Amino acid sequence: MTYEHFAVLIVIVPLMSAFVVALLGWFKRWACYPLTLAALFVSFICSLGILNTVISKGTIHYHLGGWEPPWGIEYVVDYLNGFMLVMLSFIALVVAIYSKKSIEQEIPERLVPYYSIFLLLVTGLIGITVTGDLFNVFVFLEIASLAAYALIAVGEDGAPMAAFNYVIMGTIGACFYYLGIGYVYIVTGSLNMADLSQILPNLYHNKAVLVGFALFTVGIAVKMGLFPLHVWLPDSYTYAPSVTSAVIAPMFTKVMAYLMVRIFFTLFNPHFSIDLIPITQILTWVAAGGIIAGSILAIAQTDLKRMLAYSSIANIGYIVLGIGLANRMGLTGSLLHILNHAFMKGTLFLVAGGIMYKMGMRDITQFRGLHKKMPFTMAAFTIAALSMIGIPPTGGFFSKFYLVLGAIDARQWAFIVVLLTSSLLNAVYFFRIIENAYLEPPVTAYATDGGTHEEIKRDELPLSMLIPTLILAAGVVLLGIFNERIIAFIIRFAVPASF
Amino acid sequence: MFEYIVSKYNYWVYIFLMMLGLYGMIGKKNLVKKLIGMNIFQVAIILFYISIGSKVGASIPILTAEDLHGMADPVKYMNPLPHVLMLTAIVVGIATTGVALGIIIMVYNRYKTLAEDEILEIRKKSGV
Amino acid sequence: MKVFALLTVIITGVMLVYGAEDFPKWGDPYQPGSVHVSPRYTQGTYTEAGTPNIVTSVVADYRGYDTMGETTVIFTAGMACILMLRKKKRGEGESNV
Repeated sequence: MTYEHFAVLIVIVPLMSAFVVALLGWFKRWACYPLTLAALFVSFICSLGILNTVISKGTIHYHLGGWEPPWGIEYVVDYLNGFMLVMLSFIALVVAIYSKKSIEQEIPERLVPYYSIFLLLVTGLIGITVTGDLFNVFVFLEIASLAAYALIAVGEDGAPMAAFNYVIMGTIGACFYYLGIGYVYIVTGSLNMADLSQILPNLYHNKAVLVGFALFTVGIAVKMGLFPLHVWLPDSYTYAPSVTSAVIAPMFTKVMAYLMVRIFFTLFNPHFSIDLIPITQILTWVAAGGIIAGSILAIAQTDLKRMLAYSSIANIGYIVLGIGLANRMGLTGSLLHILNHAFMKGTLFLVAGGIMYKMGMRDITQFRGLHKKMPFTMAAFTIAALSMIGIPPTGGFFSKFYLVLGAIDARQWAFIVVLLTSSLLNAVYFFRIIENAYLEPPVTAYATDGGTHEEIKRDELPLSMLIPTLILAAGVVLLGIFNERIIAFIIRFAVPASF
Repeated sequence: MFEYIVSKYNYWVYIFLMMLGLYGMIGKKNLVKKLIGMNIFQVAIILFYISIGSKVGASIPILTAEDLHGMADPVKYMNPLPHVLMLTAIVVGIATTGVALGIIIMVYNRYKTLAEDEILEIRKKSGV
Repeated sequence: MKVFALLTVIITGVMLVYGAEDFPKWGDPYQPGSVHVSPRYTQGTYTEAGTPNIVTSVVADYRGYDTMGETTVIFTAGMACILMLRKKKRGEGESNV
């Protein structure tokens, strides 16, 4: 079994499966779902193989078409990409298992194109993570973005308008990134990341390079949902179908955060990003604003998915705060939070989709007594909520712990206050739901067999939706228990060595 | 100073076009006008890149018969790499415009209008 | 809103013009963008790639993967339009929202 082609198979298999699903689905509708699962499973196995190769043999360099860089395109997988690939393919597989019943209830007539575009979204995101060439990132970014626009637009009533706002802002972000490539190309002549990291140190005082760097930052910040450029995010996550939110929320913004780490610390030297331009200082203040704003706005919402969307904005603030602190502890906390937050948000959005499937509404005030009706679902929700607040031994505690250690190392006491305050704010809005579901007496409307209003029949989710939710919730706990192993084996090498 | 402005006037023109497109995307209220602004922005970036690759006195990047084997002088031919990148960019621009127009059709079927403030009114009234 | 848009546009324009100060002259044959990677494309196009058209050899051979990505973008846009706009003919007719 040759492992050397796994780096390209992880992108090609979902890509070709998207074509095959579109063709086969024309004839046999029932064939889409198993084919999607098979493609994503192969992708997951490839990602495990890649991570294994990176740990045992070092960085993988794969030259596409046999042309050596910088004349050809190359795929570079080191520790930073390796764990992201495993995370992305695993979450995609789990959400795909979940998706069948939910899609059949919400948008049944669009099943075949939906699965095809789902696979294309996963292709695009994995393609951004695994490549080592700047323009290749742009091409796969556009694949993922177009897929996301379409997946969001087929949702409920306000979805087309939300998708259009996302189109406009997303195109601004991608075009700024793309203009940044131009500014950097015109003074260096190369598009390969490793090559540029050799050429650029002589050009750090060049104005074109400075403006190119600023354009990269703004473009990625728009697509990432960093405050105050986040205005497309709440509407898009709320009105999209449940499966779309469950697959875009854990994955898309994290890939953009990975791209930011790549550009700040691999493409440009850490010396440039920290000392020459104080971009990391600016980012920490912007991120702190995002954390506070996201948490406060989340408290005011009654729609569950909208609340989770604002919570996502706050968590992107955590990740960027860790990047901005720019020391070893901060960056470790940021990378660990990427991993944890993907699992936590995935669980929460899957639960929201499950509640939508069973009850047809998402209003928090109507959640009374839900734990009798759907005990396992609410248990998964509670585990994920505890992790978001940051209670040991779930994973969320450890990532926030490392972020606080990073803030202490950098002597920025204001951010410790921000981190702790936001944990309290998280507790406010999550405990409100847990209290409604567990402690309040149930509303009469849920009694299904005409008995007294204490008797509520157990009406749990179907197994194909319940098991993925529980898998992700178990993942949240396991990430907390094994976090030290993950840091020691993987994340420690993903942080640049000069920190 | 005058020389500085004249020697790079292509960049000033393209930056001005880009800013026109950006203003259209953000400042206009009609959805189709926003889309036209997006198109202008993307086309201006494409023109900007192509102007990077041009060389004074060079011909198009197709080799003439005597240069086929062996060392062709790169000074005689234009830089091919920006042309390549722009082929992809044109296609991406078309695809984005297509998807955005599809979304506009969905919006029109639902709200029967394409002005953003009227759509906000309808949404407020219906409680979305 | 218009004031905000104008402000954004002016700030972005000033930043871009500031960055263009260090650009090489327009049409300079020895600018860094043209001497680092492109000479090999010009010289190797007939011997390595088999066609005298340099842009074709770069698009289809040296950077062919980007072309595959671009084709996928077109496919994605087509599938997106099918996803959003296709009306199924049912008995009583159906809107496509």
